[in-house]
Amino acid sequence: MKIQSPKIERRIRQAGILLIAGLLVELVTLRWSRPTAFLFFLLLGGALMAVGIIIYLFSLVSAESKPPAE
Amino acid sequence: MTGNTTILVSVILFSIVLIAWLVLRPSITATRGGKMLAFVALLVFPVLAGGMGVNQHIERSKTTNFCLSCHVMEDYGKSLRVDDRSFIPATHFQYNLVPRDKACYTCHTDYTMYGDVSAKLRGLKHVYIYYLGKPSQPIKLYNPYNNRECLHCHLGARSFEESEAHTKDPQTLPRIKANQLTCSTSGCHNIIHNVGQLKDATFWKEPAQ
Repeated sequence: MKIQSPKIERRIRQAGILLIAGLLVELVTLRWSRPTAFLFFLLLGGALMAVGIIIYLFSLVSAESKPPAE
Repeated sequence: MTGNTTILVSVILFSIVLIAWLVLRPSITATRGGKMLAFVALLVFPVLAGGMGVNQHIERSKTTNFCLSCHVMEDYGKSLRVDDRSFIPATHFQYNLVPRDKACYTCHTDYTMYGDVSAKLRGLKHVYIYYLGKPSQPIKLYNPYNNRECLHCHLGARSFEESEAHTKDPQTLPRIKANQLTCSTSGCHNIIHNVGQLKDATFWKEPAQ
């Protein structure tokens, strides 16, 4: 089994936290039927999710795996 | 909660659970299965939830309640309930000639290929002006109201095609259809929202369902 670098795990954790925050914003804005809800969803929720996805994708392209421990 | 909202909320909650699992145990992404799980949880589900959310918000922005949630629209909302058939929006609203839950949108979208998109872009501009600018009082349309929006429903209807007022002069109907004679400003159907006249008006009360 490969062991991942702690850096990748840290990025996955950061991406996950941002995505959860973005999804929670989306969940909250679904309760409103006002123009501000759409703005919050788009500007805050959308930004959090976009950054989360970018961090995740960055963790994929910069993935390094250490050789298995002897 | 509508069916679509329920599905969207379920997708969001499921995504949160999957992502929380990865946040708590990121080491599982070292395996092939864990990588696939991460791909689904951190990319596929959030994109799906975001796309569904955009669609949901756009659908909500078409509702009458949404339009009337801004203070400047209050009087226009009242004008839908004036107990006077000469008020065109009130007649359309009260006699179910437009869906009541989408009354504003039905008449104020452009029935063109990109009508929805341009209506939404105008809406974003309205929000900007509402919060950061100064809305004009009374509010005005960007362009004179186009007959196309009326004809979207009325064209071909017997009440429209055979109306005495429309057929007395044989030139009237072709001119209306060519947008050369406007429905709303040619002295025929020219009582629209007329919010200045609401002070003395009586209002229709919608019966409880």
